[in-house]
Amino acid sequence: MSTLRIEKHPIIEEYYKGPLVHFRYDGKDAEGYAGESVAAALRAMGVRIHRYTTKEHRPRGVFCAIGRCTDCVMVVNGIPNVRTCITPLEEGMIVQTQYGLEVGEGK
Amino acid sequence: MKRYEVIIVGAGPSGLSAAIEAAQSGLQVVVFDENGRPGGQLFKQIHKFFGSKEHQAKIRGVRIGENLLAQAKELGVKVILNATVLGIYKNKEVSVLIEKEVQNYKADAVIIATGAAENMIPFEGWTLPGVMGAGAAQTMMNIQGVRPGSKILMVGSGNVGLVVSYQLMQAGCKVEAIIDAAPRIGGYGVHASKVARTGVPFYTSYTVLEAKGNATDGSVSSAVIAKVDERFKPIPGTQIELDVDTICIAVGLSPMSQLADNAGCEMTFAPTKGGNVPVLTQDGETSIKGIFCAGDVGGIEEASSAMIQGKIAATAIAQELGYIDHDTFEEKKSIYADSLLKLRAGMFAPGSKGKVIDKTDEGYTISKSILTHGYLAESELSDFPALDTSGGEHIVIECTQNIPCDPCQSACPQGCIIVGDNITLLPKLSKEKKCTGCGLCVGVCSGQAIFLVNDSYADGYGTVGLPYEFLPYPKAGTIGKALDRSGREICDATVVEVRANKVMDKTAMLVMKVPLAQIGSARFFQPIGLESLEGVS
Ligand SMILES: Cc1cc2nc3c(=O)[nH]c(=O)nc-3n(C[C@H](O)[C@H](O)[C@H](O)COP(=O)(O)OP(=O)(O)OC[C@H]3O[C@@H](n4cnc5c(N)ncnc54)[C@H](O)[C@@H]3O)c2cc1C
Ligand code: FES
Repeated sequence: MSTLRIEKHPIIEEYYKGPLVHFRYDGKDAEGYAGESVAAALRAMGVRIHRYTTKEHRPRGVFCAIGRCTDCVMVVNGIPNVRTCITPLEEGMIVQTQYGLEVGEGK
Repeated sequence: MKRYEVIIVGAGPSGLSAAIEAAQSGLQVVVFDENGRPGGQLFKQIHKFFGSKEHQAKIRGVRIGENLLAQAKELGVKVILNATVLGIYKNKEVSVLIEKEVQNYKADAVIIATGAAENMIPFEGWTLPGVMGAGAAQTMMNIQGVRPGSKILMVGSGNVGLVVSYQLMQAGCKVEAIIDAAPRIGGYGVHASKVARTGVPFYTSYTVLEAKGNATDGSVSSAVIAKVDERFKPIPGTQIELDVDTICIAVGLSPMSQLADNAGCEMTFAPTKGGNVPVLTQDGETSIKGIFCAGDVGGIEEASSAMIQGKIAATAIAQELGYIDHDTFEEKKSIYADSLLKLRAGMFAPGSKGKVIDKTDEGYTISKSILTHGYLAESELSDFPALDTSGGEHIVIECTQNIPCDPCQSACPQGCIIVGDNITLLPKLSKEKKCTGCGLCVGVCSGQAIFLVNDSYADGYGTVGLPYEFLPYPKAGTIGKALDRSGREICDATVVEVRANKVMDKTAMLVMKVPLAQIGSARFFQPIGLESLEGVS
């Protein structure tokens, strides 16, 4: 498993998450735990870029992690502008980097 | 339109406490929270709280949250999640967005307990992936179990910046520096000290100028900080570039008071409360009868006070709606008010914000070193009342600022530690009672400021027992370095034991053997070969 996941913590005995599930990230196979946020699953894989801004094509990633800033939005199951920091991961989800308001070419 | 007697907006500590109190009085309550999980900020707070027993001191925030939820459930309080309150109207109608649909509710009274939002400061590159709120980092590591980054710069030295820095280390991240534009560290000295002694440097009068992105994906690869003058202008030539992949911003919170403002409640701008806040009565009622505020929304304070404010508002409503009589109301209110007063005392009290305090209530000189570097200078310590030099096994309490906290007093089975009824006073050591070296106080102190020192351990050697909350626990016999309060290596050290039990609640006492001359300075243990603190085993 990823080294970004905290396997043992001095205070927290366990994190509430479901079974291992498979999803697709930008056309590739990916894994995470059901119920954790899509953003957390991506972070654990080392992904930090969630989208590029419309006009200036600037990268954005998780900023508030509580659904307020919309920096982390991606295209999830074909729907753009989904806040990945508060969207629970599910088996078979299709997660794509968002370019402006849509999916980028070749993704 | 659905009807309830009381509608509560926000399921954080204040909203949940209000709901529990209201339900106990027999009121019919519903709580809305826009989040998918209840608890507000509490579940991220894995550290032990301050205060007194009545404020649930020495209990970790997350546990307090669990207790509140269990109580609410038992009382049948209805908590509706993923429900964003969009508007509150004078007639106590509330519109809520639930699953993309706006629903309308009506109540006799409304309590707004929406908490606060993190402040941000713009700088070059601040939108790069890898720059985030300290609260975001806390959510990632403490709720989701994923490290936000590996090498961190913390911007802001208030309690949030200090506590999150410490938690980042517990999660296995390396905190490269904590900076603050102010000339002084803003949070509790004890919070700063537990970070400083692990070797994290503090830069006061420093600001962040730029976040630089890497060539691969454009996320943060370094941060440029610089010293500022008295007017917070960066001084040319003082730049330092730090090798970090994550920049956490902890520069304060602002009350989320828009709902109250939009409802037409009278507002006031109060810098000591964190911004634009509704004008409230003692019971937390706004200028609109029947609309109340509780918790951070009415002024940034703490979860402990937020919970009491929630109870006061609910009690006032219970009386207004005839569920409790006037005498019961007065009685409850005076208990809660007294409890709140205890928390609002000391040098970090809301009323002391912005004031420079250089003496404790007892008249001791406040450590300058702790305010600028985050740790006590040994020379400053000798002035304080809890330094025992009697020999043998004894404790040293490095608690030097007036903060409302007293669990150490009841932790000692022998009665060695005296705080008294005024919980902001510094702990003193009893002259008659004798320390037996049990170490309970070391584990119980929420500020991790108590050390168990033995100056007659073996020929030429003494031991230091220190609070330790990192994994893995080193085994007896492990050799490493002893660090002083500033995190500097001062001598070799050998672990004698790591003691932990239920009362200490995951704060172990690590006992290390050091040369006798160093027992007054050695305050942290660093195993050899472990560059940073490991959260992974
Ligand atoms: C790092 C850190 C460390 C801290 N340490 C301590 C400590 O040791 N001791 C202590 O006492 N305090 C501590 N605090 C402070 C404490 O967490 C807060 O003061 C406390 O959480 C405030 O409680 P609250 O109920 O007012 O707000 P919150 O806990 O913020 O809860 C507000 C809730 O309202 C919801 N909400 C907001 N707007 C809406 C809306 N429109 N519709 C529906 N729901 C909405 C939010 O989703 C949230 O769940 C700390 C804070 C931080 C960030
Ligand atoms: S990070 Fe702000 S909405 Fe997701």
